[in-house]
Amino acid sequence: MFDNDEGKFEEWLQDAAQTYNEPPAGTTPREQMWARIETERARRAKRRVIELRPWLRWTLAAAALLILGIGIGRWTAIQETVGPGPTPLASADTGGSRALLYQVAATQYLSRTETFLTGFRADLRAGGAEARFPGQARDLLTTTRLLLDSPAADDPRMRALLEDLELVLVQISQLPAERAAHDTDLITQGMDQRNVLPKLRSAIPAGPVPVRTQGAT
Amino acid sequence: MDERDLINRVRAGDGIAERALYDAHVDRVYRLAYRLAGDDALAQDFTQETFIRAFAKLDTFRGDSALSTWLHTITTTVVLNGLRKVKRFHTREADLEMADGVGGGRREAEPDLKVRLQQAIDALPQGYRTVFVMHDIEGFTHEEIGVALGVETGTSKAQLSRARAKLRESLADFAGEWVT
Repeated sequence: MFDNDEGKFEEWLQDAAQTYNEPPAGTTPREQMWARIETERARRAKRRVIELRPWLRWTLAAAALLILGIGIGRWTAIQETVGPGPTPLASADTGGSRALLYQVAATQYLSRTETFLTGFRADLRAGGAEARFPGQARDLLTTTRLLLDSPAADDPRMRALLEDLELVLVQISQLPAERAAHDTDLITQGMDQRNVLPKLRSAIPAGPVPVRTQGAT
Repeated sequence: MDERDLINRVRAGDGIAERALYDAHVDRVYRLAYRLAGDDALAQDFTQETFIRAFAKLDTFRGDSALSTWLHTITTTVVLNGLRKVKRFHTREADLEMADGVGGGRREAEPDLKVRLQQAIDALPQGYRTVFVMHDIEGFTHEEIGVALGVETGTSKAQLSRARAKLRESLADFAGEWVT
């Protein structure tokens, strides 16, 4: 009885719902939309060239900062080993500066990686990842490995996060041009299982980096 | 022309092939966008964005599914994201007022079945509404919906079933229409 009612309802509903948001019959504005598609594609093609520049600028700035931090770190390490030994006051001061530098570099790196992975996932949901993603993943991978070799990775939680990110970035950087849904599914499943994005977001300080890290040891 | 040839020609930058691909699919894409958006200007915007993205990403299309299915995946993503943005500009009060109107027992206030049905469908949760529109109104299969929305076929079936149940509840005072 109920099944019969259910069937009648479904039949009635399908029929009645045909009026829901019904498009005007036979009037797809083809020419109008096509003209706008062509204009918009031409505009975006021009913009894409300009868009690459800030990305490159950020990459270079972050890399320079990281190299500077690692350079200072190594230099002070050599001073501590070879020299007569710094005074406790000088040592504490240098240590604080080093920590600040690494924190700034790590925070900038984490922010960029979060932006990148969010964009990557959004793009997958839209139907596929763009060809630029493997290249960008390789750039970030270089910074990840530099950070893993730096004192920034002394914190076990930061090291674990960097290792997770390294794995994800390696997978994205190796995505073939003719990729299958299976390839990208493995990456997103891995990210979900290890909670990569939530951990990444919680590791990024909310305020401006220098203010948040001043005084941090 | 075979669809694969058409795709290869579009990938090679053939403008005529691009237009042919657009002509072959634009009606269905626009129709789906219109059904989900309920507004001509929005439906046109979403259709344009769908094709812009499709042309930009055609290199990533592997041919595992039909091109139309792949296009509908882009369409639903564009429309649902677009509607979320549009919704932010609308006042909460309007939504609440509409939700109240479909609570049942107010046939005197809303005598028109067509209006009530429209409101009841609009008031469905986004996922239910999308599946209901695609399946019961536009005739997509659960397999096609699953691919387009990135969900399992079973999820699509379950959401359709819940959507129908909610609509039945919302339209209870019109029961005479289908029981007879």
